Amino acid sequence: MADTTQQRALDEFLKAIERRALRMTELATASRDEALDLVQDAMFGFVRHYADKPQADWAPLFYRVLDNRINDWYRRRQVRNRWIAPFLRAAEDDDDDPIVQAPDAADPGPLLRLAGSQAALALDGALRALPHRQRQAFLLRLWEGLDVAATAVAMRCSQGSVKTHLSRALTALRRALEDHQ
Amino acid sequence: MTESDRQAWVADARARLDESTQSLDAATLSRLNQARHAALATRSRGLRAWWLPAAGLATSCALVFALVSWYPSAQRAGPATPAHPAVSDAEIAADDGIEFYQDLEFYAWLDAQEQESGG
Repeated sequence: MADTTQQRALDEFLKAIERRALRMTELATASRDEALDLVQDAMFGFVRHYADKPQADWAPLFYRVLDNRINDWYRRRQVRNRWIAPFLRAAEDDDDDPIVQAPDAADPGPLLRLAGSQAALALDGALRALPHRQRQAFLLRLWEGLDVAATAVAMRCSQGSVKTHLSRALTALRRALEDHQ
Repeated sequence: MTESDRQAWVADARARLDESTQSLDAATLSRLNQARHAALATRSRGLRAWWLPAAGLATSCALVFALVSWYPSAQRAGPATPAHPAVSDAEIAADDGIEFYQDLEFYAWLDAQEQESGG
């Protein structure tokens, strides 16, 4: 009986958090497929390791797992870019093809795709341009609504670092979005 | 920027981000749903499987107990043709009564004579 209640609570928690988690991950990876895979991994990791923790701790712990997955993704991409990408580029024949090199006009980014506004596009671009830690501090603290201590748990850093990252993020975002205010 | 401006700006950004989550396409929502159910299924499988190690341990204990109980009795039963007769000499002698014990010296002398003549 208690297990059923716990299972239902977990389901509701994940359902409430999954869309924001996806958007945060999508802003970090700029890829919906990658973001979906990482969110799924984070759900598995969270359920496996932290489902028995108090419910009040679930949000920071889930985002901690997700942050780990995103950091792992960055590392893999860095290794790939350093060692594998030059070989892949050398093997490709269509480097000079302007059609292949052109940005994908059909995919203007999640916020514009979803909200369809110029301001949303600007916010999307400004968030993507932020360093990962600043973006996480902004999204976890001001969007997800975690307090400073919970954000520090999720980001595995001190509360002072959270405040510093958030302050820098706000400054950068305001500067980037001045024209859209 | 005043504090109220800052709060208004943050609220606006939050609203735009919320709006972006409300407009996710069906395929994405389906994948999120599948991911959530798959993650929860691992937990329920884990909960259901808690008794498996206990059952394995209980079965092993029962097997060991059965083996230990059976083995000494099997050893006691011994081979089909016993090395030692089930009825000892003393029991046979007991049938002869007190005379056997009174003539023990005679039997000992007889045995010694037989050994001398045999050796």
